[in-house]
Amino acid sequence: MPLAYSLPTDLSPATVVNASSLLRIVALALISGAAIASRLFAVINFESVIHEFDPWFNYRATRVLASEGFYEFWNWFDPTAWYPLGRVVGGTIYPGLMATSGVIYSILHGLNLPVDIRNICVMLAPGFSALTAWSTYMFTKEMKDESAGLLAAAFIGIVPGYISRSVAGSYDNEAIAIFLLMFTFFLWIKALKTGSAFFGTLAALFYFYMVAAWGGYAFITNMIPLHAFTLILMGRFSSRLYVAYSSWYAIGTLASMQVPFVGFQPVRTSEHMAALGVFGLLQIIAFAELVRAHVSSKQFQRLLYASVIGMGILGGLAIVGLTYKGWIAPWTGRFYSLWDTGYAKKYIPIIASVSEHQPTAWPSFFMDLQLLIFVFPAGVILCFRELRDEHVFVIIYAVVASYFAGVMVRLMLTLTPCVCVCAAVAFSSVLDTYINPVEPDAVEEEAETAGDGAVSASSTAVSTSSGSATKKGKKAAPAAQPGPLGGLVSTVSAVVSTKKGEKSRGIFGGDTRLAVLLNALGMLLFFVLHCTYVTSSAYSSPSVVLASTNPDGSQHIIDDFREAYYWLRQNTPETAVVMSWWDYGYQIAGMADRPTLVDNNTWNNTHIATVGKAMSSSEEVAYPILRKHDVDYVLVIFGGLLGYSGDDINKFLWMVRIAQGVWPDEIQEPNYFTAKGEYKVDDGASNTMKNSLMYKMSYYRFAELFGGNQAVDRVRGQQMPKIGPTLDYLDEAFTSENWIVRIYQVKKEDPLGRDLRTANAFEQGKRRKRSKPVARRRAIV
Amino acid sequence: MLLPLLALLFAPLCLAASFQTDHAKLVQLAASSNGVIRLDEHSYKLLTNPKRTWSASVQFTALDKKRRCGPCKDFDPNWNAVAKAWSTVPAAERDNHFFGTVDFDHAMSIFQQLGLQSAPVVQVLPAVEGPRRPASGRSNPIALDFSGGFDAAPLAEQLSRHTPVPIPYKAPIDYSRIASGLFVLLSFVAALRFISPILKSRWTWAAITIITSLIMTSGFMFVRIRGMPYNGPNGQWIAGGYQTQFGQEVHVIAMIYGTLAGGFLMLTLVVPNQLSPSRQRMQIYLWTGVIFVMYSVLVSIFKEKNRGYPFRLLL
Amino acid sequence: MAPKTVSSPATTNSFQSLLRSYNETTLPRLKLIDAFLLFLMLSGIIQFVYCVLVTNFPFNAFLAGFGSCVGQFVLTASLRSQVNPANRAEFKEVSPERAFADFALGSIVLHFFVYNFLG
Repeated sequence: MPLAYSLPTDLSPATVVNASSLLRIVALALISGAAIASRLFAVINFESVIHEFDPWFNYRATRVLASEGFYEFWNWFDPTAWYPLGRVVGGTIYPGLMATSGVIYSILHGLNLPVDIRNICVMLAPGFSALTAWSTYMFTKEMKDESAGLLAAAFIGIVPGYISRSVAGSYDNEAIAIFLLMFTFFLWIKALKTGSAFFGTLAALFYFYMVAAWGGYAFITNMIPLHAFTLILMGRFSSRLYVAYSSWYAIGTLASMQVPFVGFQPVRTSEHMAALGVFGLLQIIAFAELVRAHVSSKQFQRLLYASVIGMGILGGLAIVGLTYKGWIAPWTGRFYSLWDTGYAKKYIPIIASVSEHQPTAWPSFFMDLQLLIFVFPAGVILCFRELRDEHVFVIIYAVVASYFAGVMVRLMLTLTPCVCVCAAVAFSSVLDTYINPVEPDAVEEEAETAGDGAVSASSTAVSTSSGSATKKGKKAAPAAQPGPLGGLVSTVSAVVSTKKGEKSRGIFGGDTRLAVLLNALGMLLFFVLHCTYVTSSAYSSPSVVLASTNPDGSQHIIDDFREAYYWLRQNTPETAVVMSWWDYGYQIAGMADRPTLVDNNTWNNTHIATVGKAMSSSEEVAYPILRKHDVDYVLVIFGGLLGYSGDDINKFLWMVRIAQGVWPDEIQEPNYFTAKGEYKVDDGASNTMKNSLMYKMSYYRFAELFGGNQAVDRVRGQQMPKIGPTLDYLDEAFTSENWIVRIYQVKKEDPLGRDLRTANAFEQGKRRKRSKPVARRRAIV
Repeated sequence: MLLPLLALLFAPLCLAASFQTDHAKLVQLAASSNGVIRLDEHSYKLLTNPKRTWSASVQFTALDKKRRCGPCKDFDPNWNAVAKAWSTVPAAERDNHFFGTVDFDHAMSIFQQLGLQSAPVVQVLPAVEGPRRPASGRSNPIALDFSGGFDAAPLAEQLSRHTPVPIPYKAPIDYSRIASGLFVLLSFVAALRFISPILKSRWTWAAITIITSLIMTSGFMFVRIRGMPYNGPNGQWIAGGYQTQFGQEVHVIAMIYGTLAGGFLMLTLVVPNQLSPSRQRMQIYLWTGVIFVMYSVLVSIFKEKNRGYPFRLLL
Repeated sequence: MAPKTVSSPATTNSFQSLLRSYNETTLPRLKLIDAFLLFLMLSGIIQFVYCVLVTNFPFNAFLAGFGSCVGQFVLTASLRSQVNPANRAEFKEVSPERAFADFALGSIVLHFFVYNFLG
């Protein structure tokens, strides 16, 4: 059998193995470096700053942890959040992230490296992405071999779908959770393969870490039982499965209940019942198997099977019954909305209002995963081809995660690792096939039998027909050595071991190899370009600091948020309560250090609706609400001047909807639309809209800015009326450079006991017009 | 047919009659028509008596075929179902809240009077006087919003906030659906013997898996949840914009993904088995070409969606 | 279980033969493990019955106690299947010594959490 290109023949097998393992380590190190480096765009373009919203809370909590110690943190009651209710922080968070940075902080300080806690928080996500790459490598190694593992590690290192949640500064639970997810899955697969309780216990420990770190742990809680259940259905029950699953479940469940925020949920909510059910089923089956081993009677065995099925059904009914009786909580809204996709919009608008919870259109998939998204089905097929127990896992993962990612943009994150693994399997199969230098016998030459040919080929390939090398090659086949040369060894020997006696298969000629390999290489290069582009342009914005491009191409930094928050910090008393929409609660608490009414931990819908009501009703109605909640300042985000589309007027309808959910008599969404059902802010806006506090605060004195010209709202592209709204109960306190943040001070009650509108009118020297209704008065003014 | 006549007959009497008889009439009207009063100008006036002690919910609709109001037709049965559920409430509470329907073609003037431009609309008229007067003293109608869809259950839930007692609406058990489900299940069990080789074949499952994930990653759920149309007006099939898509895009994109994945599989699984060098060479070039061209097409479609995207292949 | 309730002579016979075959073919050390398993099971059942009939008041204490029984049970059962010579083929990478080390580690971790959870 001929070779397409010649190989060095004077290498000893030990050299090949050593070189390949060295190359592997170097490659992994480089991949880690690339993974970290590509996440640093945000730091380079802006600065080392915490991003977005939730990270600000995590950062604040970590600071408490680092300065006050773990016990203080654990019992931390935060009186400034959810004013006046306060928030028990220790019991309402997943502490894994803060604990991780806290540990790193104390280790570094123990080594006399005085690193600022902020820098640890900023760099945590990139650091863990390197670990994710490594755990993906380990996981994929179990699926195929080391070369596929390296590809998978490279993919996950730079794929935008994961970078989107783990750039430097994005200090959120997902930053460490994806590593934990992949590593738990790897340990599970390892436990299943070896049947060792050691790996089961490790899987349970990492599961515990995951539970402590991210609410998405429920994905593991359901994936592993689903895998086990599928294996049982496929008739692949084995003692290894029993050992792996039982040790994982028994320890993992008990461990997960140590996290205060999770509490007794693992035994009391439907999300966790699948795991319990499969656990019970496995015990029954294991017992039945044990009995079966001792009895040979056919009839008895049949009875045994019947009783197993009966017990399974009984157990299922018991769970259903307990759910019915209320002992087990039914699926929570968040989970339920994954199945019944209309559910969230109807019943939990607060979930539906978050942009991360919207369904995913295909461009998002392509943007986040690029070529992986279409190579991944090929990888799934290859998994079907082998279909060992661990391949079943990847297949289930692929189906489940692609459904979830379709329903919610946010869950793209769980799909990404699976896509990377499958795509790596497919890609490395292509590379294996086309790098392999062995050419099969053409159909014309039938003299030589294929089997002999293959053996002789392997001996030529590995070394100069030394018998030990061939043996080595054969031995390597199951364990599969990676790296350029190792991959060669493995593929060559794979040809030997799998295709003996069958038709030989392979590729003829060098040009064909070159064509396919060049094509693949080109695709990979394009992938790298794409990832770099997407990361730098789309995912590296801190959203606290904005950037725009000047006409000459240089970057202009828009720092309105921090400007405004520092204004609050410097110019207001420490107890001044700031009201804003919940999106900005964490930032205000983190950067301005002032009490807030509501924040991104949306645990109290009524409180949020109260803020929504205040924002969406008229000044007269809102004022008592503001006073009752001791609000001193009201903060709104307004993008009309700059064209910043994430502003409060665009979120306004959600405020209305959420308020309407609690006060359907007083707030009604249709009133905020024009008669034709359009959402307008210009002259044609409805009166309710024009009188709402939010509208007034956003457009107060906006028209003056244009000095008599037509004022234009750049976000909505609408022309504003010449005469803007007036405010009687609030005073403008601060407006940032680009008008993005506007802060209003709530006036105290009039000392003379007048209502503030009359007092204002009096001061402006106008006569009171008491008898006229509000709407008409506006028309005159 | 008879109801408007009846109302007309009563009309002069109504004007003269005392307030009590107004109420009695409404009760009678409601009772005679399954709980929903078919309102015309006159009975509408009766119902919206400015001194009413009762509340009412009124559906404004246009059911006539020539009006071509699809949502009206969808909504009407739900409305009637809820009203019917209300009519099962004991008389003491039931007679304090009425359900009415105003059809555009029977009472155009009411639509004009209220300035209604679209249908269906549901308004709730709170009681103005008497014990059921709302605490806020509000007497102008409250419009219901349909953001939760036209289904009967949310409607009943919303209306229950305004009725004296919650509307005892229960979604009717859909026997035909249960029966068809059972039938499918039974026929499945019956056929299990014959199709079990298919079910046990891994390639059946592979096909199911691949099709599912292809469809899901092409934005099928987006189209379903958002109710996107199959294609846009004037026949365009790519929705402009990165965050949106039409139904047809699901097909096209899934097909492209499928072809590309197929190309990879061909190159790895099928081509190496080809033992004639010339044929194999041709296949390799063919599939490499297919992958390259399809990939270019995909990138160019993506560029169409995301204008700022700087890369392109062939196209 | 269902087989025990069925009292046709055939099944009674097979039940007896099951016991006989168990007595004859099981290694003594497996029997020792089985005795421990039985003890754990009884202890778990007693706790469960107590919880259902009397009170589940310190629910975490109940969960910890019950969890320790169940967890120890499955870990021991795992050990049993790993050291069972009949399963040698399945556990190629787990020697009986390794199995015991796994068992010990798993138990330590389990009881660490149990202890922490008792409250």
